[in-house]
Amino acid sequence: MIAECVREADVLEAVAFGRWPDRCGDLAAHVASCEVCSDLVEVARALHDDRAWLCREAQPPSAGMVWWRATIRARAEAARTAARPISVLQGIAGACFVGAAAGIATVAWHSIHWMDRIGELAVSLESRRADIASASTFAAGHGLPILIAVAAGLVLAPLALYITLADD
Amino acid sequence: MAWRDLTVSDVDQLSSTEEAAASFAMTEDAFRAFYDRTARSVWGYLSRLTGDPAMADDLLQEAYYRFLRANVSHESDAHRRNYLFRIATNLVRDMRRRPRVAESPLADGIGNIEHADPQSADAANGAVRRLDLARSMARLKPRERDLLWLAYAQGSSHKEIAETLGLKAASIKLLLFRARRRLAGLLREGGR
Repeated sequence: MIAECVREADVLEAVAFGRWPDRCGDLAAHVASCEVCSDLVEVARALHDDRAWLCREAQPPSAGMVWWRATIRARAEAARTAARPISVLQGIAGACFVGAAAGIATVAWHSIHWMDRIGELAVSLESRRADIASASTFAAGHGLPILIAVAAGLVLAPLALYITLADD
Repeated sequence: MAWRDLTVSDVDQLSSTEEAAASFAMTEDAFRAFYDRTARSVWGYLSRLTGDPAMADDLLQEAYYRFLRANVSHESDAHRRNYLFRIATNLVRDMRRRPRVAESPLADGIGNIEHADPQSADAANGAVRRLDLARSMARLKPRERDLLWLAYAQGSSHKEIAETLGLKAASIKLLLFRARRRLAGLLREGGR
């Protein structure tokens, strides 16, 4: 249960404005007989005086120092935040490269079988053998450079992207 | 990440701090004026709640940093100030949850007695009163300390206290009454 007194506000004001106890007249007499106001004076005065002393004695760093530290820290956090998606991007690029390499290897394996079948077809169709043999030779001769070019692109593209973003 | 966690390489990477400052809630001039108006009372609040002036220094920097980064618009200076005290209160709560390395030293009161001018009876009495208060506050529950300081040292209204501490405004009166009665009893016993 809360015990209240109608003069609490007067007591608080007297303490806050430094009038307590010398310039309070009948209020001092009231406080002496009122348990609620007596507690209030005890606590409010102690805390008010303590705060005044702490504020007087406090030596917080200058505003400029706090601002400078805050800007440096914000900048460092921004740099870390910016680096996070780049790392993710590198991971995705690596996974794409592995996937693409596996895909190309599969396609190349199948194309070898296709070559065999084309060769068998060429044997059966003697009349057009010369033309098909020349097509097979072209594929076998240029397949490796094309494969290397695609692989190089997959490796270099993420690197180029990383270098571009890192410069920012 | 606290200021102390910054490494040399972190700082080396910082070519300009202007971009970072652009993300803050206020300009440098406005911050300086606000800081000069509030820093001492926030430090006092942190110092009394933690009982550790060195901890208060660290938390002060952290409180203003979070305030700047929050980028919240405030309708008045009083609202801005209350918001800062709410951040400070949350920092103290976080600190209380962490395991303690050492007990709170309550050094400001004791140190002051040692350095008090022996010629001055007022200074000595003041130091004793502050030590009693520090001891008494240390025996209160954390929430009681927060309530009492905001109400009687800061002069905050019940509504402001409720906002700062995340409590219902209707419950402040009762909580404050109980905390006040408890502290008054402890102070009369000399904090023992």
